[in-house]
Amino acid sequence: MNSLRAFKTLLQFSFLRLFWSINTMMVLLPVVGCLLFILRRGFGKLTPPEKAFDAFGTFLVFVFSSFLIPICSLGFGTTALGAEREEQTLVFLLTRPIPRWQVLLAKILASLPLSCGIVLTSFAVYCLLVGSIGLKALLIYWPAMLGMTVAYVSLFHLFAVVFRHPTMLALVYALFIELFVGNLPGSIKRLAINYYGRSLIYGLGAAEGLKTPRGFEGIPEAQAYWTLAGIAGGCLLAAFLLFQTKEYRDSA
Amino acid sequence: MIDLVTSSSTEFDLTFTRVTKFYGAVIGLNDLTCRIGPGITGLLGSNGAGKSTLLKLASGQLRPTQGEVRIGRLKTTSTAAKRLFGYCPDVPNLYEEMTGEEFVRTMCALHGFPDDEVRDRTEAVLKEVGMTDRAQRKIAGCSHGMRQRFKLAQALVHDPQVLLLDEPLTGIDPGGRQEINDLLFRLAEKGKSILVSSHILHDIETLADQILVLGRSRLIASGSLAEIRRLLDDRPLVIEIISDDPRSLAAELMTFGQVLGCDIQESRLRVRTKNSADFYARIQDLVVNGSQTIRQMQSLDEGAEAVFDYLQQGKHSS
Repeated sequence: MNSLRAFKTLLQFSFLRLFWSINTMMVLLPVVGCLLFILRRGFGKLTPPEKAFDAFGTFLVFVFSSFLIPICSLGFGTTALGAEREEQTLVFLLTRPIPRWQVLLAKILASLPLSCGIVLTSFAVYCLLVGSIGLKALLIYWPAMLGMTVAYVSLFHLFAVVFRHPTMLALVYALFIELFVGNLPGSIKRLAINYYGRSLIYGLGAAEGLKTPRGFEGIPEAQAYWTLAGIAGGCLLAAFLLFQTKEYRDSA
Repeated sequence: MIDLVTSSSTEFDLTFTRVTKFYGAVIGLNDLTCRIGPGITGLLGSNGAGKSTLLKLASGQLRPTQGEVRIGRLKTTSTAAKRLFGYCPDVPNLYEEMTGEEFVRTMCALHGFPDDEVRDRTEAVLKEVGMTDRAQRKIAGCSHGMRQRFKLAQALVHDPQVLLLDEPLTGIDPGGRQEINDLLFRLAEKGKSILVSSHILHDIETLADQILVLGRSRLIASGSLAEIRRLLDDRPLVIEIISDDPRSLAAELMTFGQVLGCDIQESRLRVRTKNSADFYARIQDLVVNGSQTIRQMQSLDEGAEAVFDYLQQGKHSS
């Protein structure tokens, strides 16, 4: 018997289970919806180029990073472990000779490539459809999109460890905190991950003509990156600590 | 005090030492001490008595609030201990999108066996639980009985020393029960320790040679089947008898030392007896002698709940 082989099996099993789940379809629906919107809007045809860059940047801020990234992260982040809890199958994993931290690590490693893959691929496709302006946006913004996705996935894994029905709560969180609170004036918007992503996008895009809206006071890019990394690290650390000690009595 | 519930002991005995488990303010298991060794041990108790809590503690899913649970020298929460037991939970849910064979194979692979060994073990265990011909069916389309067998297969696939089975016979037809009982007897003969829970007295009677009875989160009786039977024979029982002449029958029954009282309602006679075994033996004599005609006779509190209530009272009074 080999522990590494068992972990590899769990990772492979978790990835395939997520990939072939209904969630993949549910996540792809808004992705395709945005694709159709971009084709119809024709960002690449707008002139001058600064105006086109600003319009596409506004789409990235208000649609892609505020809605699409949380939805893609939620679809896989909460489900990787949350589905096992909701379907009462977690017991089969917790009674195998695999340490608990490895069970959670396998679930995180299975969901991250899916969330990041769909976010970055759709971002790249949108950018390429827009043309030269989009290509510029792709090269400037991809690290910001990746950072936000990792932070969201980490937060939603923490939801899955703590709550019995994490998907519903994560959806409420995404719509209320990220979409609503994240767009409120004042410092309350700092509660949303989205705020740090927007700070990055406005900061990185300023040199290319992206205008920061009035009332939005972003933070420097380096600080935003560190904050996103801190959120991801903190959520994952909390998730590992809680999962190690939490007793799941879902079948009781 | 240690209630020793085994005929012999091995290095893989499952040992509970003064185990108490709280769920917040609610007690799930109260000061349990016992040792479970080779053979089949029945875990009997009404719903909410603490059977599932005990099995979850034994399988390392829960940590005791006080005391400790060990398999041999290992704490059941340790990763190494999980190689030693197989656990069959009472939940009906499995990975619905898989076939039975895929499910058992995956569960086997999660023990870290090489691919060819996973294949061989899966084949063998599916044959053992009688599911070879139905192994390619999607679990979503399987009956409750078939799911029970796949669950049993995943618990057996790594050849564990200790088997923990939570209500494994629920939903299985009589023929299937016999097959599973035979399988458990074979495993017990090989020296495996098997702990089977049920809230049905009959299931445990036919299967286990040692019994633990739980009631209201406590161990209220333990021992061999004969010892538990003796306890049950001494319990008071209400028996309803339909007779052509209930008054004369009541007069005759009142001469029995073990009859505490009789109530007559038309042709029905309700008898309260303090020793059911003696009472049944004597009333049989009455019928055989032809002195009384009895049309129907049934116990009104033969159910598991009444049995547990009786044992519970005995535990408190002792």
